[in-house]
Amino acid sequence: MGELLRVDDLRTYFYTEAGVVKAVDGVSFVANEGEPLGLVGESGSGKTVTVLAAMGIVSRPGKIVSGKIFFKGEELDHKSEKEMRKIRGKKIGYVSQDPNSSLDPLFTVGNQLVEVIRTHFEDTKDQAWDKGVKLLKLVGIPEADTRMRSYPHELSGGMKQRVAIARALAGEPELLVADEPTTNLDVTIQAQVLDLLKTLGKQLNMSLILITHDMGLIAEMTKRVVVLYAGKVAEEASTLEVFQTPKHPYTAALLASVPRLDRKEVLVPIGGGIPNLITPPSGCRFHPRCAYAKQICIDQIPPLEESGQRRLVACHRWKEIDLRRKA
Amino acid sequence: MGGLVNYVIRRLLFAIPVFLAVSVITYLITNAAGDPVQIVKFGIRNISPAQLEYLRLYFHEDLPVYIRYFYWLNDFLHGNLGQSLYTGSVVALIVPWIGTTLELQIPALALALAIGVPVGIYSAKHQYTKGDYAITTTAIFGISMPTFWIGIMGIIVFSYYLHWLPAFGAYSSYPPYWWGSPFMDALAHIILPLAVLTLVSIATITRLVRANMLEVLRQDYVLAARASGVSEFKVTFKHALKNAITPVVTIVGLSFGVLLGGAPALETTFSWPGLGKAFVFAATRLDLPTVLGITMIITIMVLIANIVTDLAYAVLDPRVRIT
Repeated sequence: MGELLRVDDLRTYFYTEAGVVKAVDGVSFVANEGEPLGLVGESGSGKTVTVLAAMGIVSRPGKIVSGKIFFKGEELDHKSEKEMRKIRGKKIGYVSQDPNSSLDPLFTVGNQLVEVIRTHFEDTKDQAWDKGVKLLKLVGIPEADTRMRSYPHELSGGMKQRVAIARALAGEPELLVADEPTTNLDVTIQAQVLDLLKTLGKQLNMSLILITHDMGLIAEMTKRVVVLYAGKVAEEASTLEVFQTPKHPYTAALLASVPRLDRKEVLVPIGGGIPNLITPPSGCRFHPRCAYAKQICIDQIPPLEESGQRRLVACHRWKEIDLRRKA
Repeated sequence: MGGLVNYVIRRLLFAIPVFLAVSVITYLITNAAGDPVQIVKFGIRNISPAQLEYLRLYFHEDLPVYIRYFYWLNDFLHGNLGQSLYTGSVVALIVPWIGTTLELQIPALALALAIGVPVGIYSAKHQYTKGDYAITTTAIFGISMPTFWIGIMGIIVFSYYLHWLPAFGAYSSYPPYWWGSPFMDALAHIILPLAVLTLVSIATITRLVRANMLEVLRQDYVLAARASGVSEFKVTFKHALKNAITPVVTIVGLSFGVLLGGAPALETTFSWPGLGKAFVFAATRLDLPTVLGITMIITIMVLIANIVTDLAYAVLDPRVRIT
């Protein structure tokens, strides 16, 4: 199981007029080959920014302040823009959140696919066009030939997301980052898109990073989870462990807020909101919302400690508290 | 293509009631502004009663105003805009004025686009840098300073003190010519008014392009294109610019109709013998047939410009359907 993407102590700040927003503040994780990784957290926890920073496309006023990023052991953060373009799309594909806005409305599907294909391969226009048709067929779009000439507004939301996935695949990447790929889709379409992502992963031998706030998706799609809270890693473990024995109160709270069919439980929302990242809470950033907070949580930043084999947790009290859900 | 022809025909048909409404209103207003016979009588002191009677009949003053309107409309549709109260046929007057106005306006618009669009893109790509601040500040200056004021300043500096350029007119009527030949003379005359007019349009276009580019560069499809490895050049000039330029096309297209009316203040400042100056001149001396004629010509141009703009919009944006 080789290492694909390694992010080391990444800090990405946004320099706004109101102050410095520490959107990502010391995040580390590794995405391995064949081990779908989930990045979980509420909106504003830094999931997307982490990945965009890894791909070198955080736009101003955002800036990578420190940290190292490796792809298959190759350091990316010192690469030139030209070299990074060979990583983007070619090594790491990216599917963004909203299919309705991720395709340029003024160009046909074919034009946008050919553009990416010709960015990464030295194909003629006709070759690239044929590849585009194949890509559309691959992501399950009927009448691929006709659809190449369609404009995005002529397609349904699910179709658009399939096209967006096709574009992300155009460079034949080894790693696909899917950023909330189903948030803006109908439930039935969601299932189809998830199935597609799963099949494609196997078919193309491509690894997956899934960004989501939906624990259900995590359970279905990933083998390993990194829980982010307010720009920091709260917990990292295998998906199974996270569901069975969450160690961080935030992870436990996330799980408790997911409805389940097999148990009659009252859903417990997480009180409060994501903190202001210009002046984050002292100590553990989760302490104002944590049911288990003590004085130490207010005073000291919890270190990310090993709590088992390939398990990490950043909580002062992880040894004392039992967060397992009553079966 | 059939749809396109259909669309144009339908738009032209819709333009007819607009044209009629504008003509009725303008006709009534010019009528209320004064009695042409009295205006002529005031200008020519020793006019004979027989001549006055002839004029009264010529202007159909024996008929009620709504009948007179149809006489006027009939003439207008036959290309006859009537007689100026001072100097002969209105058509013969207007045509050369349209020429001089376009001679000034079209290069100004072309230059403003050629400079304003790239500057706006630069400004958006370098938001909140020194370059951007310099551009936006200059643009605000360009928009808020009245054209005639910038024009007067230009005349004072370049004509009065430096003697580099002529202060007024479109050409010298007799030698000595500026810069040697009649052609160079016309060039020397156009520089100042053209520069002023261009400066003002650049300011508008730059601000518009900058604002739209900033908006578009935040869109998901720009991020997605970058994430697919598409070069920043293509992201900017293919995806972002095409999306940002559509509103600019609208503004430019709509202003094209107005543009024909000339910039009255600017043309007056530089004594540029165009439609704008003629309009001001005709209005100040109550040359009602000329005022009416110019207004209706501008109306028609605005209506045509509207249709052309809508067509351009449909060509640029596939979501706009022509049916």
